[in-house]
Amino acid sequence: MLKIDNISKSFFRKPALESVSLTVNKGEIFGLLGPNGAGKSTLIRVINQIIEQDSGTVRINGDLMTQKHLANIGYLPEERGLYKTMTVESHALFLGQLRGLSKTDVQRKLNYWLEKFQIADWRKKRIEELSKGMAQKVQFICTVLHEPDLLILDEPYSGFDPVNVELIKQELIEMRAKGKTIILSTHNMKSVEEVCDRVALIHNAKKLVEGKVADLQEERKSGEYAVKFRGNMISFVNALWTGFEIVDKEVLADDLFIVRVKMRGENSFDNLLNVLIGQVKIEAAWEVLPSMQDIFIDLVQPKEMAS
Amino acid sequence: MRNSWLIAMREMKERLGSRSFVLMSIFGPLIILGVLYLMFILGGNQTEKWNVLITDPAGIMDNKIMANQDPNVSYSFANDYIEHSEFADAKKYQQFDAMVEINEKILGNKVSHVFYRIKPSVGLQAKVQYHVERRLEEVMIAQFTDLSVAKFRELKQPINFSFRNVYDPLDQSSDIRAWVGFFFGAVILVFIALFGMTILRTVTREKSNRIVEVLLASVKPKQLLIGKLTGVGISAFVQFLIWLIIVGAGLYIIRENVFPDYYDASNLNVMELAQNAENQTLQEQMYASTEYNHVVDLVYERINFGTMLTFFVLFFIGGYLFYGSFFAAIGSTAGTESDGQQFVLPILMVLALSAYAGYYAVMNPEATISTVLHYVPFTAPVVVMVKLAQGYPVGHAYEMWVSLLLLFASAFVFISIAGRLYKNGLLQFGHRLRLKHLIKWLKKA
Repeated sequence: MLKIDNISKSFFRKPALESVSLTVNKGEIFGLLGPNGAGKSTLIRVINQIIEQDSGTVRINGDLMTQKHLANIGYLPEERGLYKTMTVESHALFLGQLRGLSKTDVQRKLNYWLEKFQIADWRKKRIEELSKGMAQKVQFICTVLHEPDLLILDEPYSGFDPVNVELIKQELIEMRAKGKTIILSTHNMKSVEEVCDRVALIHNAKKLVEGKVADLQEERKSGEYAVKFRGNMISFVNALWTGFEIVDKEVLADDLFIVRVKMRGENSFDNLLNVLIGQVKIEAAWEVLPSMQDIFIDLVQPKEMAS
Repeated sequence: MRNSWLIAMREMKERLGSRSFVLMSIFGPLIILGVLYLMFILGGNQTEKWNVLITDPAGIMDNKIMANQDPNVSYSFANDYIEHSEFADAKKYQQFDAMVEINEKILGNKVSHVFYRIKPSVGLQAKVQYHVERRLEEVMIAQFTDLSVAKFRELKQPINFSFRNVYDPLDQSSDIRAWVGFFFGAVILVFIALFGMTILRTVTREKSNRIVEVLLASVKPKQLLIGKLTGVGISAFVQFLIWLIIVGAGLYIIRENVFPDYYDASNLNVMELAQNAENQTLQEQMYASTEYNHVVDLVYERINFGTMLTFFVLFFIGGYLFYGSFFAAIGSTAGTESDGQQFVLPILMVLALSAYAGYYAVMNPEATISTVLHYVPFTAPVVVMVKLAQGYPVGHAYEMWVSLLLLFASAFVFISIAGRLYKNGLLQFGHRLRLKHLIKWLKKA
């Protein structure tokens, strides 16, 4: 769907992007991650043709990206702006028409979204009458109104309460199911794990990693397992003996614990379960994978400390 | 093109709905009408009233003066000598504004001294002189001829020396009309300054609230620039039309109710005319007419509104596009809403210089500099309006079209330059705008 090849861009001789390449496949939610000032927004602006890259190419469905492709992209920038004196309806009409919709189409689609978000009575409200979260919702509607094949959302959850974050998240999943491609730039790592198929991490203007969320977690797993059990902690420790190392424990109740264990020598998950069965009552056991937050910090922090 | 139009329409609707637009649309023309009305009033003779004492110890005038007295000038006679110092200080003379001395030698030496307390207008001076002269003329006719006054005046046709420019035999050009052209040019400059600042504000506001990023994801910077210039320009034009309608209607009402057209016989009071005819000669009536009010005459009879307004619109569009692109470029490159102000000052100074160029053209219509300024796009909108009001010599009207062409060509060049600044500066935030930024963004493709 989208192929970014060796994009470089500098501002006042300071590089914002250095030979960044990545591929976004059709029908996936692609997480664009990175600390503040990494170059994510610059990359998004290059994709949207808002700024021109110094070198490199952006291709959409194999074609070099041009102005005509923009009608098929929905862009929600990080720092949002709406005309404060315009009503929700007139705003949607203006932006919808700019993206090639007719007045009738805008009205029809606006009705759909206002009903869906249960905010039909906002139609005639002026933007300045809305709260920040309400305005964010309007902006989201304006972004998806023309049903673009590619959605680029820069921090779509900012300003939303948890209920609305969930609402937007479900919308994104629904859109993916309809075959839409979504680029999601966010610092909300939990949502990245929940909705993103693949991610790329940009740091100091360079791409550090790109791949499936599961693959990244798999690559960075530390060989730890977690066991949730009911019983006595001493019995648990005695059962492990010298073949395993306890890394961490969490006391959930007097007789309910989650313990993280690392294997020693040739011991496997099966061996762990074998030594524990009969000593404690195992309620659950699983391999501990690093969260996206851990991976993010792991990738970014050492480099920040070094720099 | 469609996108530029959509942006223009949004811009226009926002402007038309704003309170400042409504206020300007109502009060702007009312202020103009008020000023014009004052000029009409002050341009005539109706407000100045003079009480004149004629000292005529020899009784030459026989205590008579024009039977149809002017309501603004009243005459009294004294048949003794009054020293001017006595007139100045004596309590009994304080009611008089001026003293006219008619001594016994006046029919020979034709000299009369007039002592005033406050200097009267030239018009009033002429009027008093005229009244006294007419009375003395009657005296002389009676003394030195056998003719009746009416017959004498019929024979005595003054030779009216009319000084005309050999290249302008129809006297199309005149200082007064040049000022009217200057007024039209000044209106263009005022509109450019007002709506140029509007462009600047709207661009910087869109920049600071970041909606520009959403817009740029759908339209090219140049489309946005053209849309904005068009939208604000249309609203300026709408405001101008409103001004035109209100001022036009106001002038019509004033003409119909306050200053009925004195050239139009249907407006004359027949009874009054008949009464006046008994006492006034045709010349006197004409004198009264021409004395009536030059400003009224100028506004209602001598300005070719059709031509002036047509070229006003053309030069307004050209000037607006030319200057508007500067305002837009500064707005787009400014780091913050207040940042652009320092660069607005030079533009406003150029606009002020342009106004001065218009003034210079009024005062020195034939000067080479006036001719040059007539073609310079910065000053053309005002200078051409001045020249147009003065009237182009036969066969020279093409100069105006050349100037218009140059203005539009320059406007498109500057829109292109502004487009480059717009494109490169629009997404730069938080910096303090410096000249080096402008140069850098100009060099960038």
